[in-house]
Amino acid sequence: MKRKLGLLLVITMVITMLNGCGSNTNTNANTDADASNKKEESKSNELTVWCWDKNFNIYAMNEAAKIYQKDHPDFKLNVVETAWDDVQTKLTTAVTSGQTDTLPDILLMQDNALAKNITNYPDTFVDLTNSGIDFSQFAQYKTALSTVNNKIYGVPFDSGTAVTALRTDILEKAGYTINDFKDITWSRFIEIGKDVLKKTGMPLLSSQAGSPDLVMMMLQSAGVWAFKDGKLSITDNPVLQKAVDTYVELVKSGVLIEVNNWDQYIATFNTGKVAGAMTGCWILASVQASDEQKGKWAVTNIPKLDGIDNATNYSSVGGSSWLVLSNSKNKDLAVDFLSKTFAGSTDLYNTILKTSSAIATWGPASTATNYGIAHEYFGGQKIFEDIIEYGKKVPKVSYGVYNYEARDAIGTAITKIISGTDKDSALKEAESTVKFQMGQ
Amino acid sequence: MPKNLEVKSRQDVISWVFIFPAALLLLITKFWPIIKAFILSFQSGVGLNTSFSGLKNYARMLQDNLLHISIFNTFFYLLLQVPIMLIIAIILAALLNDHRLKFKGFFRTAIFLPCAMSLVSYAIIFRSLFARDGFVNLILTKLNILNNPVNWLADPWMARIVIVIALTWRWTGYNMIFYLAGLQGIDPAVYEAAKIDGASAFTSFRKITVPLLKPMILLTSITSISGTLQLFDETKNLTNGGPANSTISISHYIYNLSFAYSPQFGYAAAVSFLVLIMVATLSFIELKAGDRR
Repeated sequence: MKRKLGLLLVITMVITMLNGCGSNTNTNANTDADASNKKEESKSNELTVWCWDKNFNIYAMNEAAKIYQKDHPDFKLNVVETAWDDVQTKLTTAVTSGQTDTLPDILLMQDNALAKNITNYPDTFVDLTNSGIDFSQFAQYKTALSTVNNKIYGVPFDSGTAVTALRTDILEKAGYTINDFKDITWSRFIEIGKDVLKKTGMPLLSSQAGSPDLVMMMLQSAGVWAFKDGKLSITDNPVLQKAVDTYVELVKSGVLIEVNNWDQYIATFNTGKVAGAMTGCWILASVQASDEQKGKWAVTNIPKLDGIDNATNYSSVGGSSWLVLSNSKNKDLAVDFLSKTFAGSTDLYNTILKTSSAIATWGPASTATNYGIAHEYFGGQKIFEDIIEYGKKVPKVSYGVYNYEARDAIGTAITKIISGTDKDSALKEAESTVKFQMGQ
Repeated sequence: MPKNLEVKSRQDVISWVFIFPAALLLLITKFWPIIKAFILSFQSGVGLNTSFSGLKNYARMLQDNLLHISIFNTFFYLLLQVPIMLIIAIILAALLNDHRLKFKGFFRTAIFLPCAMSLVSYAIIFRSLFARDGFVNLILTKLNILNNPVNWLADPWMARIVIVIALTWRWTGYNMIFYLAGLQGIDPAVYEAAKIDGASAFTSFRKITVPLLKPMILLTSITSISGTLQLFDETKNLTNGGPANSTISISHYIYNLSFAYSPQFGYAAAVSFLVLIMVATLSFIELKAGDRR
């Protein structure tokens, strides 16, 4: 009996305590809400942004804020440095758990992930189609990436226009110039590559083992992706077959060497182990890291696939776009800010180009004076003008919701093919893996 | 508190009051999410577009090729790494417990120190040690053991072995501490008696140390097994699951399902419960096997 009494006592205590806690939290929440309401009023001119890379995106954002502040002196920008992996994880967690108030007003997103996030989290991002931003001024392939169901959700930022950057001093030793690489096909590229390797012992390119970047770049250069009208297209995709063959030949011939991770990849050209790099133009910032190689680099377009209709010498790798969140209390301010800066300020692009080599995808930016600069590191070549021209010709594709699944599976297939698995069965396995992932 | 309660009941009440906050925290932060995850595992769909689907996720696991690869990899680590690590740990503990050994404190600290290291940073250090132009290749080629540098992390089996080496380096000292603690509880007189009876060092290790450490061996193998089944940091940071998914662990796959790919939280939760069932079954078998007194 007494034991029961004790138990009863404990239960009563628990209940009162819980009640206490409960009402406490309630009042806390209320005061919090009040406080944030008050904050909201005084802070209505402040925007929070998530992006990564201090010397590139964060720098650009802060420069944009300075420009916007000229007309809006009380405008404040709070940039929170958030690595891309964290942006994705936080976004997924916040949206799926319904805690969208933890999200910022604007966030930067890798172009690869745009379709996936916009489709999976409907109504999370602001539809910018009729926001007053003139999207026709952006490179068409960029706006296509953030377009879902004919609505545009992203303000394109840095360019991922693919380039071939090569060491002219090494080419010279083998008797070539950068012009021998302009507007060529992959078979010609490999032919020259073998010759350069024979004469100088240096491979032309390097890549991260297991990364499908180069193959995907080849796909886009022919206006094709691993999906066709939303349906997976791997084994029945002649362009993909050709791209995989080309990549495998690059590796087998020794024209391209594979390394294990990103740091080693950057080191291959910074330390002069390979004579070039081929990927999105953002790589040029890393290419310029070696003082010894100053003036010894040049840039041209990428090779095109042999025997494929619609194949071009232009493509895109990487790049990113700004998105506005629907949950933002300052949606209109955020949209206005982006439209006056990243979608409306030649000055902004002029400034950030000079210091961080961030190349615009906004057409009018190319009139900015710095774009005509003869770049010393690249032997006086007007690289920015050239890259802007390439960017205009990049074929449009849509990466799709299951892009990461497809990229991973294709990367795995390539690794297997290089280590001896037969191509058809490796691609068939890739297809069934992605099909399985899509089968939810 | 009412005075008419007996002393015992009063003590009961007091202990309940002390246990209560911790129990409540545990309930809210551990058990509630587990229940929610269990409910989630019956839902399928991508992102926010999910719906109830019964046992579909559990049936789906049977056809999931990548999951099967990740289970294979995880069990490879488990079967190779856990025994090697525990044997090394117990030998080290026995050596360090020898009263004739000098600088004991130094050795103990040195062997335990890897455990103080962050999982991510040690994985990255191992990655650079085993790079093509890394330290390991440098030493092996300088000593003429290798003619050409080996690209460790590019070969599926070598990459798995590197993960096993890394895990052993990181966790051996941790388990050794348990054995050292266990050894303190063994009366030195037992060893002396064995010595007088003419037992060699190896015999007394086999006949005295190991049997008396049995509870500790049981404890460390259960924690190691459950730790290995939840392996994530090493495969994510050392090899990122590659080459061609040959080192991906189950937890790493769960991460990919939730955050790298189009999020399938329902399916990811179902796979998590598979891990739970594995840990529970293995621990149960081990407890039963270890309990044969």
